[in-house]
Amino acid sequence: MTDEDIQSLLRKRRWAAAFELLLDRHQKKVFRLVYSILKEAAKAEEVTQDIFLKMWQVLPDYDGRASLSTWLYTITRNTSLSALRAESYRKTLPIEDFEPAAANWETGMQQLEINQLLQRLPEAQQRVITLFYLQERSVEDVAHMLDLPEGTVKSHLHRARRALADMVRS
Amino acid sequence: MNCRETQERLLESFEGAVSPLEKSQLERHISECPECAQFAVLQSQLDLRLQEGIAAPQLNSGFRAGLQARIARQPREPWPDWLPDLAYLAGSGVAIGACALLLSFPVPVVLGTGVVVAFLAYSLQTILVSALEQKTD
Repeated sequence: MTDEDIQSLLRKRRWAAAFELLLDRHQKKVFRLVYSILKEAAKAEEVTQDIFLKMWQVLPDYDGRASLSTWLYTITRNTSLSALRAESYRKTLPIEDFEPAAANWETGMQQLEINQLLQRLPEAQQRVITLFYLQERSVEDVAHMLDLPEGTVKSHLHRARRALADMVRS
Repeated sequence: MNCRETQERLLESFEGAVSPLEKSQLERHISECPECAQFAVLQSQLDLRLQEGIAAPQLNSGFRAGLQARIARQPREPWPDWLPDLAYLAGSGVAIGACALLLSFPVPVVLGTGVVVAFLAYSLQTILVSALEQKTD
């Protein structure tokens, strides 16, 4: 099952069948992308439904100029960012609330709450490193889903790793 | 390979982008450089923590059912998949029938009728498309 199969169904105007294949092929990745932006599973699932509902409505308008996955990920990013802005539910941990890890590396690594550390990274680095691990370490997938060059993804990853290491050491 | 290069290659190794030759160079440098050795240990532990801490959430088992319910509540329902094919087939049948009927008439009558039919068909198509677009908005 490929995007070409879905496009073939779309050309035949078989919307329902195309939509089923689209869900089978992309729902997990879309959910992960939404989660990497919203960082809350329940909300991410709700927004994922919104995205596929929107896809269902606009599927007949798909003209095949952009690849199907590129089109879907663009809608996913835009919808997720709108949800993030609309609800502003994402809480940034104030620096004074952050408990530094112990100076000893091993103990520090055991004590640190990785999610707390991630929240202290710039937003772009958070998204990239979260999606990198969600997508089983595929730089290519992350680049495609976030519409970034692979070099930029790697750069964000390296900066994030260095920044996280500095936080653990401090 | 200096410390800066070593640390960059080490970070790339978490993306699986390091060749066996680079890996052996890395290991050699790390065995001789305490600072890079510490960096390697910390980054490895961090990588493990990230892998454990960033677990992929699962979609609820009712996700599809919920989505289908929301789709069912939508006011717009798409036309059946087979409708356009049937319309094309019916149109072709009518056109073939009309051609067969007109064969026995003189040329000016055939041409005149053709122009009128083409105009009517175009007008009807425009009205239908407009009506469909209003219904689907």
